[in-house]
Amino acid sequence: MSQPVLRLNGISKHFDMTKALSDMSITLMPGEVHAIVGENGAGKSTMIKIMTGIHQPTSGTIDVDGKARSISGPQAARDAGIAAIYQEPMVFPDLDVAENIFISDNSSGLLVRPAALRNRARALIERIGIKLDPSRIASGLTLAEQQTVEIARALSQDVRVLIMDEPTASLSAHEATLLRKIAKTLAGEGVAVVYISHRLEEIFEISDRVTVIRDGNHISTKLIEDVTSDGMITEMVGREVGNYFAKAAGTATNEIILEVRNLTLDGVFENISFDLHRGEVLCMAGLVGARRTDLALALFGVTPPTSGTIKYKGETTHFTTPRVAIEAGIAYVSEDRRKFGLAMPMAIKSNISLATLSDFLSPLGLLKHAREDKIAHHFTDRLNIRAPDVDTPVSMLSGGNQQKVMLAKWLNLNPELLIFDEPTRGIDIGAKAEVHDLIRTFVADGGAALVVSSDLPEVLAMGDRIFVMREGHQMGILDTANATQETVMILATGQLQEAV
Amino acid sequence: MLARIPPQTLRIFALLLVLFTVLLFFSTQVPNYLNGRLFNRISSSVAIMALIACGQTLVIITRNIDLSIGSIVGFVAFATGSLITNNPDIQPLVLATYSILLGACFGVINGLLVAYARIPSIIVTLGTMALFRSALVEYSDAKSITTNNLPTWLVEFPNTQLFNIGTFQFRAAFVVAVLVVIAVHIALTRLRPARKLYAVGSNPEAAEMAGINTKLVVFFAFCLAGALAGLAGFMFLARFGTITVVAGLGFELKSVASAVVGGVNIFGGSGTVIGALIGAILVDLIDMSLVRWQLVSEFWREAVLGTLILLSVAADAILMRRLIKLRVSREKKTTKSEVLS
Repeated sequence: MSQPVLRLNGISKHFDMTKALSDMSITLMPGEVHAIVGENGAGKSTMIKIMTGIHQPTSGTIDVDGKARSISGPQAARDAGIAAIYQEPMVFPDLDVAENIFISDNSSGLLVRPAALRNRARALIERIGIKLDPSRIASGLTLAEQQTVEIARALSQDVRVLIMDEPTASLSAHEATLLRKIAKTLAGEGVAVVYISHRLEEIFEISDRVTVIRDGNHISTKLIEDVTSDGMITEMVGREVGNYFAKAAGTATNEIILEVRNLTLDGVFENISFDLHRGEVLCMAGLVGARRTDLALALFGVTPPTSGTIKYKGETTHFTTPRVAIEAGIAYVSEDRRKFGLAMPMAIKSNISLATLSDFLSPLGLLKHAREDKIAHHFTDRLNIRAPDVDTPVSMLSGGNQQKVMLAKWLNLNPELLIFDEPTRGIDIGAKAEVHDLIRTFVADGGAALVVSSDLPEVLAMGDRIFVMREGHQMGILDTANATQETVMILATGQLQEAV
Repeated sequence: MLARIPPQTLRIFALLLVLFTVLLFFSTQVPNYLNGRLFNRISSSVAIMALIACGQTLVIITRNIDLSIGSIVGFVAFATGSLITNNPDIQPLVLATYSILLGACFGVINGLLVAYARIPSIIVTLGTMALFRSALVEYSDAKSITTNNLPTWLVEFPNTQLFNIGTFQFRAAFVVAVLVVIAVHIALTRLRPARKLYAVGSNPEAAEMAGINTKLVVFFAFCLAGALAGLAGFMFLARFGTITVVAGLGFELKSVASAVVGGVNIFGGSGTVIGALIGAILVDLIDMSLVRWQLVSEFWREAVLGTLILLSVAADAILMRRLIKLRVSREKKTTKSEVLS
């Protein structure tokens, strides 16, 4: 039996009063894919940050190759052969691919020879098994390509432990498959791969062992053969989740709230036609590049379509700006919480009132704080937002709670049509189920929802119907009652075009 | 063909185009405009600003700003002047080294406060701008350096004609400044540690994760900017000879303007010192041409200058966007044809 490459012994980490990790032990063997699962806030990120030298443990020791070693900073982690890639890749947008890969490479002297650098970069990229021009500027790369750059960077440093933190959360199914293949290949070459994911199916697909952690504690480490998905979920949440992606009851009515016909945005999508009924959740499935977000933005008036018609509540409309769409009762909840959704340093209550500030003005034009508080409390109760109080800055909340604050901000507008872009990306299973419930409640109360989601189990559980797109084309509309993950994927990958 | 040129090079071409347009415009407005004298005037005054803008660029690339740079130029010019006045036998190179090191010392103060005390650079350098200036007032005791007390080699140095091309005179100060800019440019593009400057400005978090000592990089940028300001202070002394407490006043904003006009991203991460040099030339050219433009009165000069700076930045931005679009569509075409073949 070979020696573990990295071992954490009884690591604890405290931040001020809160305990992020307590007595955590984990052993990583060369050549294994070791999955780590746990709800958001379970301590996974803290553990990674200790492995990569960003945080120092409060107590406990770390062994590298069987010898005690302190990982005092990112450079020390790299020297030990430990590298990490994240859901949001850490690239330098202004530098090109080759420069990104070799940014902390000090091996080849003081002078940079761009051509030589690009050749070395090309070799690494080929080893991963993809195509990417090393001279491209990183700001134009897709998320998947950026992650590849990060993997190549790790490989350039002779990586022995590669930590992948939610690497597939933002990728299309095809890209995710490719990434898992890369993880497997690296493990085959003797690298210990730490794989963190919310997608249980991929954990079963690639990992050799699974460690479950909860509330900063180690719960179990088992061979993948000895684990079931239900058992894993039970251990993660510490309770039976009866309604984990339970099939929602249909509430669709006959009233058509949105009628889209032959909608086209030149060069982006074409000939999109569908109806959305009041009380219905229509999910939009597809791979990345399917142009679902572009379609959503066109409906919301951000980029008006070039041709085709949109009938909203029976009337033909032309939303030319988001403001017009908002006034008509449409809300769009963006997939990028940080960029478009929330003012991170601002309090929960300020975020909730942000889109409807005029409702909070006194006759003198001053903000009515009492009313702001009241509305905020109403939503924190209704949506079960977990925070010390409504004055807490949003940046302090977990992803799931941030998502709920964003939802509260838009619900506060009393919309009739909610457009959701990836509402549960990167949030834990418990929070996912809550968001699903909130969306179902919203439509049951007479609203309608259009949900863009790449999470197929979610699409199948929450949607009434599924609208599948591929590269700007409508591939078909499925009824969730008789759809499966396979039928959706067949359409999304273009293996079959359903007669529309 | 355009698709193969890197964006930074395209940006410099775009700037040269704007520069050419400005020249063309004023040649229709001002009689006897395009001649050797214009070149000689611009090159003399740009020699100082180019060095300062070069240092400012290094700082801006790391997502910081140095507003104290004008005060450093003033202090170094005065201190160097009083040193040579009291010790006229000092060797030229020793004197220049003294200026550079003195400037670097001021840079060290800025760098320590920004990088290690974690105070935003705009606040630090706003403070040190006033502090360094007050130090100059105190140190000078309200006296001035005058040309009469300076050795002749120093006063003659900036105007020494190294070589001529036609009626264009290449004077020592300008040649030194251009050589320094080229040296810094080569260092930025070819030296491995210099890449870290861009990395830190491009994505500080990722730089930290990649094991780059971001504090040291920022510290170093401020030191270099200080050293370049010190050299500029030396040139300032040599060119003007008479140094009062207001020497170098306003240089900090002009250097930021030169860098930004020269395509340096004010949010950090990208930009070249060659661009900053052309930016400095452009700002100076516009400023100097306006003096000779009959249509514009003295009082409107600043306003026109400001407008022209905005216009040139806008023109540059539009040109860049066009060129990048062209690149992208080319790239798409090539990948499509690759797929088909």
